[in-house]
Amino acid sequence: MPRLTMKAMVATALVPLMAVPAVAQDYGNYDGYTLRVKLIGGAQYEPLYAEIEKWEEMTGASVEILSRKNHFELDREIKQDIAASTLDWCVGSNHTSFAPQYGSIYTDLREIVSEDALAGFVPLVLEHGTVDGRLVQLPRHSDVSNLFYIKSIFEDADNQAAFRDEYGYDLAPPETWDQVKDQAMFFADPPDFFGTQFVGKDEAITGRFYEMLVAEGGQLFSDDWEPTFNSDAGVRALSFFVDLYEAGAVPVGVPNYLWDDTGLGFASGTVAMNLDWGGWSAFFNDPENSKVAGDIGLIRAPKGSAGIRTGWSGSHTFSVTETCDNKAAAASFVTFLTDYDRQMVEARKGLLPTRTQVWDDAKAEFASDGNDFLVTVFETYQASMAEDAFTPPLIPEWIEVSNVLWPKLQAAMVGDMSPAEALNEAAEEALLVMEDAGYR
Amino acid sequence: MNREMKKRLRAAGLWVTTFVLMVIMCVPGLWVVLSAFRPNREILAKPPIWVPEDLTLNNFGKIFGFGAEQVAIPVLSYFWNSMVIALTSTVIALIIGMAGGYAFARFRFRFKNAWFLGLMLFRAVPGIALSLPVFMLWSRLGLIDTQMGLIIVYVSLNVPFTIWLIDGFFRQIPMSLSEAAQVDGCTRWQAFWKIEFPLARSGIAAAGVFAFLTSWNEFALASQLTRSTDSKTLPVGLMDFTAQFTIDWAGMCAMAVIIIVPALILTFLVQKHLIAGLTFGGVKG
Amino acid sequence: MNRFIRRHQGTLTPLLLLSPAILTMLFVVAIPLVFSFYTSLTPYRLTRPESIEIFVGFRNYVRLFGNDDFWAAFLRTILFLAIALNVEFILGLGIALLINKITWGQRTLRTIMMFPMMFSPILVGFQFKFIFNDNIGILNNALQSLGITDQAIPWLVDGKLAMFSIIFAEVWMSTSVFAILLLAGLFAMPRDPLEAAKVDGCNAWQTFRHITLPFIMPFAFIAMTIRSLDVARAYDIVAVMTDGGPAGRTELLWTMIARVGYENARMGQANAMAYISTILSIAFTYYFFTKLVAARRYMGGAE
Repeated sequence: MPRLTMKAMVATALVPLMAVPAVAQDYGNYDGYTLRVKLIGGAQYEPLYAEIEKWEEMTGASVEILSRKNHFELDREIKQDIAASTLDWCVGSNHTSFAPQYGSIYTDLREIVSEDALAGFVPLVLEHGTVDGRLVQLPRHSDVSNLFYIKSIFEDADNQAAFRDEYGYDLAPPETWDQVKDQAMFFADPPDFFGTQFVGKDEAITGRFYEMLVAEGGQLFSDDWEPTFNSDAGVRALSFFVDLYEAGAVPVGVPNYLWDDTGLGFASGTVAMNLDWGGWSAFFNDPENSKVAGDIGLIRAPKGSAGIRTGWSGSHTFSVTETCDNKAAAASFVTFLTDYDRQMVEARKGLLPTRTQVWDDAKAEFASDGNDFLVTVFETYQASMAEDAFTPPLIPEWIEVSNVLWPKLQAAMVGDMSPAEALNEAAEEALLVMEDAGYR
Repeated sequence: MNREMKKRLRAAGLWVTTFVLMVIMCVPGLWVVLSAFRPNREILAKPPIWVPEDLTLNNFGKIFGFGAEQVAIPVLSYFWNSMVIALTSTVIALIIGMAGGYAFARFRFRFKNAWFLGLMLFRAVPGIALSLPVFMLWSRLGLIDTQMGLIIVYVSLNVPFTIWLIDGFFRQIPMSLSEAAQVDGCTRWQAFWKIEFPLARSGIAAAGVFAFLTSWNEFALASQLTRSTDSKTLPVGLMDFTAQFTIDWAGMCAMAVIIIVPALILTFLVQKHLIAGLTFGGVKG
Repeated sequence: MNRFIRRHQGTLTPLLLLSPAILTMLFVVAIPLVFSFYTSLTPYRLTRPESIEIFVGFRNYVRLFGNDDFWAAFLRTILFLAIALNVEFILGLGIALLINKITWGQRTLRTIMMFPMMFSPILVGFQFKFIFNDNIGILNNALQSLGITDQAIPWLVDGKLAMFSIIFAEVWMSTSVFAILLLAGLFAMPRDPLEAAKVDGCNAWQTFRHITLPFIMPFAFIAMTIRSLDVARAYDIVAVMTDGGPAGRTELLWTMIARVGYENARMGQANAMAYISTILSIAFTYYFFTKLVAARRYMGGAE
């Protein structure tokens, strides 16, 4: 890929748009200093790390990457570091859902990053990065899920006629989750073709259930932290997954699915609708990897019965440790990794930016390249990041609550117990977790 | 003549049958090896593509940082770490195991059986139960993310089994041999090196293969105790192909081939000793 | 002979020879075990290092006794071990008997036989996760192409099939260990009794049942002991394939410990579980070891 030419083109195209952009920014001078960092690894994160050299050049410092792992591994490693008090590094990749667990090991960035540098971020995203009033992380890119679908099967005249006969309304990209359910059951033809799919284990299904709960008008906890997800709204939310599973509208293996399974599943052309993260869009539309490339529609996540759109969201972020021996250098580094130019690098790969201007400029760039699909992607995701996105409760116990919740969600799915029973049992266990943690 | 032919045919038939059965047993593994030479979209296709259409070395190129998509896994340092760690820990485990095995085979002392059983039972502690305490101890001693840290752990994983095999082997060797040597003026040490060690070679080789394979393939503890290219081993490197949302299965298969081939070569080379070593080790108490 | 032994009756030399082994085990296993036992008496949370100083006695253990999920996982682990070890033994025996009959090209076959031993457990986990995938997995694709079924079989989801799948993966990885040890046993077998049996008119089955099998049983127990030593390696496989799911149907002690200890960061409680699982492992190993000693005695070996 001629990345250089593209970059040159972009630079010329954008010069008039931004008068004094990041080029002039001063990242300081830390000659001879070695900054120790732990970063999230994986193909889609690597292009950013190729930029690190530039920071090293500008500041004279060098960066030592201690580990590069996926976040679940990194999480374990950081917890071990806390336990053994080996927090001898400065910058770590973080995630809004994980951050509250780490207590006060990360420093408040408002004290070390300049107001100017923070000004360009989408305010809601910075708010999501705040734990106990402290901004412990600088968002690198955000994520939220919207609904991808195979365009041609919705446009097919036979399908439209048959659907209207059966359900009494027109087949169109769904506006509500009830419609998704109807359409998924309509399209399903197991084991060759499925209406939709969802992830079925770990924090992934907890998150999916949680956003559906909110869309149905429920909440995980009451104001005084009593679990309330076993409400009617909760039962409705869980029944959505259970009904689809029982009807065979989703692959029978979904209770064991994670993000790679759903992503590859949609790319294989065997799934009609797929609620998924923005990071997948480039992959879905790449003919090398995906059979549905060129035939993909995208709409904002549908609404639940409470009229609220699902919008479970999280951001990948960078944090600076409290024990860091050179916080100024660390602050310079995280500011650099999330600055305008760096976000443009990631946005070109289809990752969702956290700076208002990058949203607009990336869109303009896609439009001038004639990449209409990515323009749609960015428009859709920008709207949902601004209006629909919400995070799980930012408490240290989120993962632990998730671990009592998801096995019960699965139990309901595979028919071991009814949705109400499953949620009641999970609520009892979650109450214990909250009591142990001193919330009640 | 006819009879001879028949016999040969039967032998050939048996060989072919066994070979086919072995290959069927290996199919899940061979699938991994084949996948290393195919692009992701072919391996995970639906409907499936049975006959590879597109054999490629791209997955290997990707790992080493060539070609269009570069992942550039530091596979050379992983390989180096794995080699150093597996070989060193095997050699140390063998030395410790020989000393221990010799003690059990040639001496009579109090609580001998209890010592023996104790060593075995210590080995039975599941790795997951040890991972955190070992981590905390290692971090106090500065052994985290060092080759030495893993070597020590692997030595302890391998010592009990090594002692066991070598003990059985030494017992096979009549004591009169080394006694005779000593009568002829050898010291006990010389008698050991000249008489008993060469006879026990097969047993040592067998124990060595098992120790090497254990260290070479170990993942759970290595993933806890290593952090960077200073000490990460090949199995831990496999996780580099998993990202938050995706798994590069083809890349992982290519890496798997890099892990499997040296182990396979080693095993093939010491085949002869392996069987002989296991035959006498262990059993005849 | 007796004179030789008597001369070295002092305990010093053997203990000196043993000391490196003992020191390694103390350092890597015993000290950490003492530490983890202490933490199992505290409400230790990884993310709150100061909680290690609170002493709660046996509360973590008492809680475990009332925890149904834990005991379900405990029983499931025993079931997993029992089935896996037995199947590995039977398959390994079959393979060993076959290969033992081969006279030419045996070295190649033996290497092929050991092929699965080259696979790291973590790799085996990923490999079977993809093979058993219901939608794009090679197994379901094969079954559907052959017309055996037109369904997508939920290998990793169905209550019984999921357990079957993880046992299958474990058996695939470890049968070779049994096969190679049993093969060694067959090699060591003296020819005389076999020929005597032939002369006496025993058929193949009788010979196998009364001569071969008793002879190789000690080898089988060695294999069992060795396997029970590191059977917890299966953790890597299960963690990748199902992580104990769905709905806890494949939850083993090890996956439970890892989740409670690291994800929930409740190390105190996890270490209490780890202790019980250690006792289980030791019990298995001890059981096979006593069997081994008995079998050796039966053969007139030793001690």
